[in-house]
Amino acid sequence: MQNVNLMAHRITVYSIIALLALPIMATFVYSLSSHWGASILPDGFTFKWYAELFSDSRFIAAFGRSLFVCVLALVLAMLLMLPTIFVVFYYFPQYDKVMNILILLPFAVPPVVSSVGLLQFYADSPFTMLGTPWILIGTYFTIALPFIYRAVSNSFIAINVKDLVDAAHLLGASTPKAFLFVILPNLKKGIMASMFLSFSFLLGEFVFANILVGTRYETLQVYLYNMRQTSGHFTSALVMTYFAFIFLCTWLGSRFSKGNLS
Amino acid sequence: MSYVQVKQLSKSFGKQRVFDAIDFTIDQGEFITLLGPSGCGKSTLLRCLAGLNPVDQGQIWVDGENITDLSPQEREMGMVFQSYALFPNMTVAENIGFGLKMKSTPAAQARSLIQRFVELVELKGKEDRYPHQLSGGQCQRVALARALVMQPRILLLDEPLSALDAKIRKSLRQQIRDIQTELNLTTVFVTHDQEEAMLMSDRIFLMHQGEIVQQGSPESIYTQPANEFVAGFMGHYNLLDKQVVKALFDLDSPHKVAVRPESIYVKEEGRQYEAHISSPKTAHVLNHQLLGNVIRYKVQIEQQEMTVDLLNRSSERLLPAGSRLELLFNLNEMQPVSP
Amino acid sequence: MNHNAPSLPLTTSVRYKRRLMPKLNRLKPIVAVLPFIVFFYLFQLTPLFWVLVNSFISEGEWSLEHYQEILDSAFILQGFKNSVWLAFWSSLFGLLIAACLVSSLRHLDGKIRDAVVAFTNMSSNFSGVPLAFAFIIILGTNGALTLLLKQYGIIDDFNLYGSHGLLALYIYFQIPLGALLLYPAFDALKKDWQEAAALLGASQRQYWLKIALPVLSPALLGTFIILFANAIGAYASVYALTAGNFNVVTVRIASLVSGDLFLEPNLAAAISVVLIGLLAFITAINQWLVSRSYHAKR
Ligand SMILES: Nc1ncnc2c1ncn2[C@@H]1O[C@H](COP(=O)(O)OP(=O)(O)O)[C@@H](O)[C@H]1O
Ligand SMILES: [Mg+2]
Repeated sequence: MQNVNLMAHRITVYSIIALLALPIMATFVYSLSSHWGASILPDGFTFKWYAELFSDSRFIAAFGRSLFVCVLALVLAMLLMLPTIFVVFYYFPQYDKVMNILILLPFAVPPVVSSVGLLQFYADSPFTMLGTPWILIGTYFTIALPFIYRAVSNSFIAINVKDLVDAAHLLGASTPKAFLFVILPNLKKGIMASMFLSFSFLLGEFVFANILVGTRYETLQVYLYNMRQTSGHFTSALVMTYFAFIFLCTWLGSRFSKGNLS
Repeated sequence: MSYVQVKQLSKSFGKQRVFDAIDFTIDQGEFITLLGPSGCGKSTLLRCLAGLNPVDQGQIWVDGENITDLSPQEREMGMVFQSYALFPNMTVAENIGFGLKMKSTPAAQARSLIQRFVELVELKGKEDRYPHQLSGGQCQRVALARALVMQPRILLLDEPLSALDAKIRKSLRQQIRDIQTELNLTTVFVTHDQEEAMLMSDRIFLMHQGEIVQQGSPESIYTQPANEFVAGFMGHYNLLDKQVVKALFDLDSPHKVAVRPESIYVKEEGRQYEAHISSPKTAHVLNHQLLGNVIRYKVQIEQQEMTVDLLNRSSERLLPAGSRLELLFNLNEMQPVSP
Repeated sequence: MNHNAPSLPLTTSVRYKRRLMPKLNRLKPIVAVLPFIVFFYLFQLTPLFWVLVNSFISEGEWSLEHYQEILDSAFILQGFKNSVWLAFWSSLFGLLIAACLVSSLRHLDGKIRDAVVAFTNMSSNFSGVPLAFAFIIILGTNGALTLLLKQYGIIDDFNLYGSHGLLALYIYFQIPLGALLLYPAFDALKKDWQEAAALLGASQRQYWLKIALPVLSPALLGTFIILFANAIGAYASVYALTAGNFNVVTVRIASLVSGDLFLEPNLAAAISVVLIGLLAFITAINQWLVSRSYHAKR
């Protein structure tokens, strides 16, 4: 009885996982096959699609732009969020609730809706924002916000901020010094974990990139979309490369959040 | 002039008044305990002394200087927290040296100071451990050394022993007191444990709902409780209504009367008693608790229930419920207490 | 120990300054938060505000014309209908499959559990354009799976680019998200409860109906709402799969602001407001349901 049950649970888990893995595996096989026409199995295997991809300067450029935008957005988000979370936890712990509602906004408002507002608001702003990476950096900050707030505030909860800072004050440290020497080193785990997780999320962002910027500053996802008319094998190689990168980031992120690295 | 003078200190959180117009003084080298039930404002008062909470009104003077508006960094006070508040990212030595680093103390001097205080709190050999590798008692000793190394004018301790288990609490209690005496440190210690307060203090400030209801030496507070609250808080006092006192002892008292359980005796046959000992009262045992060297009986005298502590002498067997006793009261120990 | 060490002259001037500006010191924490507020305002709040305001503006004047237009347009209404249909069924199936996965996973051992959690974590990032491309490869007209199923006569034809193809795609990206949201909720189920229930004579089925489901219901409802919002707001995958030819509400909105012709940003704003209203309405229903569960009575 027990064994039959266990078997049933195993089958359930493995078949759902297989279902989830199927598109990824298929794309992987497709990216390595020389030709896969109207047949169930491919004709032969090759690395030429990857070679073609990595020699495409447009791909390299798009990848570089994506990295630039995502890294800058994350740095910006951290610079804005760390002092904010510190102030919330040290001075106004009762506002943690408010923050938890605020950070739901980027989740709750579909990006398409935000872009409508952003297009109208920045259409007649004194600086050109639309079509530049800067507007993406700003919007990506909002996307990363919930990830960062959750992870970093968990790190904050794990330490006794109030007593640590008070102790540092009595030992002669100013508030910025107390933050730098006493609080920040203890947030490393939360910071690194949320950086990697939101990085992989941002790298997959398409809506803002396509609507607000488009080909004027072609990022990875927009490039991928624009390549839809080329060979499916080529786009598969592209998708797999992207996915390998995501894999790396999520893996690093979960390693950090579990604390295996420090 | 006293070393520390607190004048008319008031503090509220929003609408909630924590304390109002508190006054007290502390002499140099004195060990003061703020004692009171939790929530009475002890921590808040201590944090006001440290400058961690701004005060609404009043002044704090230390060594002839008004420090009311100084920031915590400038007050030269050391504080030990119940939660230890050790910096988790720093080793024992780095924790102890943090304040010295903030003061830009030359490295060689800092090293020797750290060494000296590590030895003082008996943590030699553990300098490179991180807080999570230490026991609670060791953590608290690091916290103590971290405060002491700054040579504070006043040492503040907020329930430093409450998170520790009984055995470590006892030894650390003694250690803190020894170090305090050795360094002649002016110390304010916060606790809700009356036994701890009695054992450690030169003077106790007993707090209740934001007021210092009584201050004095441990003996004077224990034997002469100023009011019903103190009597209730300091021991297992019997509180007798004035009508009961009149009926039993024919004494007139303006208030209730507090009677210590250990000031009640069993009448010994054939012995002469002095004038301040009452006539024997017949009591019925209701139940008893064995406290080791003392047996605590709950007895009934006429309509009044009372607690009586009798020495546990092996020659006397435990009195079962329903036993009759002849009890004597020391009339000098009847302490009228205001409400 | 020397308590009366002469203080440095520097200290005195610092003290003097601090005393002068206690008020300013209290403002410092606000200053540290200010940049965050500015950015959040510029990139999250203003866009929302502008959407709301512009939806009521037609040809430079306040009006409800765009809302009237939505009600009159069968095309836009069909977009809403398709979106709600996709969102509802994909959330339901996604939630069910995710719940099966999570509840069965509890019975497997730790290593496998960690690996599966890590895998779902990762595959939750496999969405949008790359996912659409992967689906074309396996389920497109010449996709390997389509051919396989055709060969065995299970299907005649499969149109990935129609509503059922989209539903499959949506369910695919809902499963990992649902699982990630349900892991912590299922962890709240204590093993003792099942054992206690069994000792009291409850069958497996009774345990699930009387204990586990009531405990899980707020989490299940909450997860359903998040999945629903996720699906109704989805744009990248459907856009990439059908090049904007399938009529869902996000495609309508986007085409009105970034299409090649007929730009009507204020109509897009009005549709956006209706969409947000719809989400708010569903969240309110969810709140109401949760408030009736036992959690609210604690
Ligand atoms: N930061 C604060 N904000 C609001 N109220 C507080 C704060 N700190 C303490 N209090 C309130 O002040 C009263 C005294 O608290 P405290 O000084 O911590 O008491 P004790 O240390 O004697 O237990 C309590 O009623 C507590 O709720
Ligand atoms: Mg306290």
